[in-house]
Amino acid sequence: MDNMTQAFILLLAGFLVVFVVLILLIIVVTLYSKIITSVQNRGKKKETTVTPQTEKKPEPAAAVMEAADEDDGEIPGEIIAVIAAAVDAVYGAKPHKIKAVRKSRTSRSAWARAGAADNTRPF
Amino acid sequence: MEILTQLWKIICDLIASSGFGSLSLENYVMVLVSFVLMYLAIKKQFEPLLLLPIAFGMCLVNLFPEIMGVPTTTLETAQQLIDQGLNPESYAKTVIDGVTYYNHIEYGGLFYYLYQGVKLGIYPPLIFLGIGCMTDFGPLIANPKSFILGAAAQVGIFLTFIIATALGIFTPEEAGSIAIIGGADGPTAIFVTTKLAPQLLGPIAVAAYSYMALVPIIQPPIMRALTTKKERSVVMGQLRPVSKLERILFPIIVVVIVAVLLPDAAPLVGMLMLGNLFKESGVVDRINKTAQNELMNIITIFLGVTVGATASGKVFLTIQTLGIIALGLFAFCLATGCGVLFGKLMYLATGGKVNPLIGSAGVSAVPMAARISQKVGQEENPGNFLLMHAMGPNVAGVIGSAVAAGVLLSVLK
Repeated sequence: MDNMTQAFILLLAGFLVVFVVLILLIIVVTLYSKIITSVQNRGKKKETTVTPQTEKKPEPAAAVMEAADEDDGEIPGEIIAVIAAAVDAVYGAKPHKIKAVRKSRTSRSAWARAGAADNTRPF
Repeated sequence: MEILTQLWKIICDLIASSGFGSLSLENYVMVLVSFVLMYLAIKKQFEPLLLLPIAFGMCLVNLFPEIMGVPTTTLETAQQLIDQGLNPESYAKTVIDGVTYYNHIEYGGLFYYLYQGVKLGIYPPLIFLGIGCMTDFGPLIANPKSFILGAAAQVGIFLTFIIATALGIFTPEEAGSIAIIGGADGPTAIFVTTKLAPQLLGPIAVAAYSYMALVPIIQPPIMRALTTKKERSVVMGQLRPVSKLERILFPIIVVVIVAVLLPDAAPLVGMLMLGNLFKESGVVDRINKTAQNELMNIITIFLGVTVGATASGKVFLTIQTLGIIALGLFAFCLATGCGVLFGKLMYLATGGKVNPLIGSAGVSAVPMAARISQKVGQEENPGNFLLMHAMGPNVAGVIGSAVAAGVLLSVLK
């Protein structure tokens, strides 16, 4: 068998094997994702039906927080303390001062931006 | 007079043993090539983590070829050793026809020993371990159809193999090693070449890493040429969140399927998935950090300098090298084109829900290729965020090129 015939056979075998393996992975990943999602959803439904009373308890506290936010648009003291601690952790000994704390006006959520930064950091 | 003659002889010997006497013109040309690569790595920041050690290894081996020297053992009699001022008792004995010989070992150069990790196929899987620790397969699990784009980009590998074979200047093993450059995956290219055509390791590694560094220049024109403005403007829906259990099961399932179907790809895919399991399991944080930082950095240094050290003047400055560089570029462009064309196919099949630009990310080169999809997409629509969608085919491309490597190895080895 000459080299070109062997090369054509390898070309066909290569196409076939790569696509078959990856299509198999598509099927398996799709299937197990569906199974896991349905199992986890079932688990969540059970939780909500079994413990309806526990969910009601935190309502007053949440309501107070919401009221505080809506009343004067101020950020709660605890949140400011956490932000200040985070700023301090980054700047450390360098002199720094927090003048204002404002919500950033980007279209993407902080988690989405963190995810994108994590994935695009060069290896 | 006697003293002057002796002095002249010593000076002549020194000159003869120095670079001026022992190095050829090819060596000096290669030193200049290494300077160019160092400039590209330092000034232009072209894959500096690998290109810099490769360039320095190349420079060093051409100035001092013995650094890659192979160890030798000569059988000598006791008298011969004593004449050299050596003690025979410190050498192992070999008896032939009743005569006792001593094994006089000349040790190899530093890079010879470090190179064993490349030659025996140890470093590339260890690099994959580190890559696995850093890779987020979430976008791929959320959209498993991305696998098909990772497979499509590997078509370039096999088409290049045909062309390299048809040229007639390469053996099928060499053609396979050159074609794998299209996978845009340095460790995979090195892994395949050390097994199929170790003599071409230098040019192939340099070509593979150079093209990976040139992704932002090579890919965008091909992507623009093969797509319409409307296709490039497609905004894709948000990916669903992926649960921790799915992330943990993914590497285990992939390694079982790939290792059973294609055992030759098992070292690469196995280590990639082991690294990913370290990351996703969340219970071996220390190992995870070591694999993606210290271990990966150490291996990168060893891999870089020793791969560079295979590029000696005699091997590198040949017509074959020009062929490898041209075919490597061809393989890379073809892989990008095939990825985009499959992306177009998915665009049509889904009624315009898939942006074909994410197809070009199927050529591995993580995460640069995905960033290019994002960048070209944003040129048409600044509010379009394709990055996470492109990461799916991008990481699928890593698995795809390892599978393609497995096919080449199982057929050609």
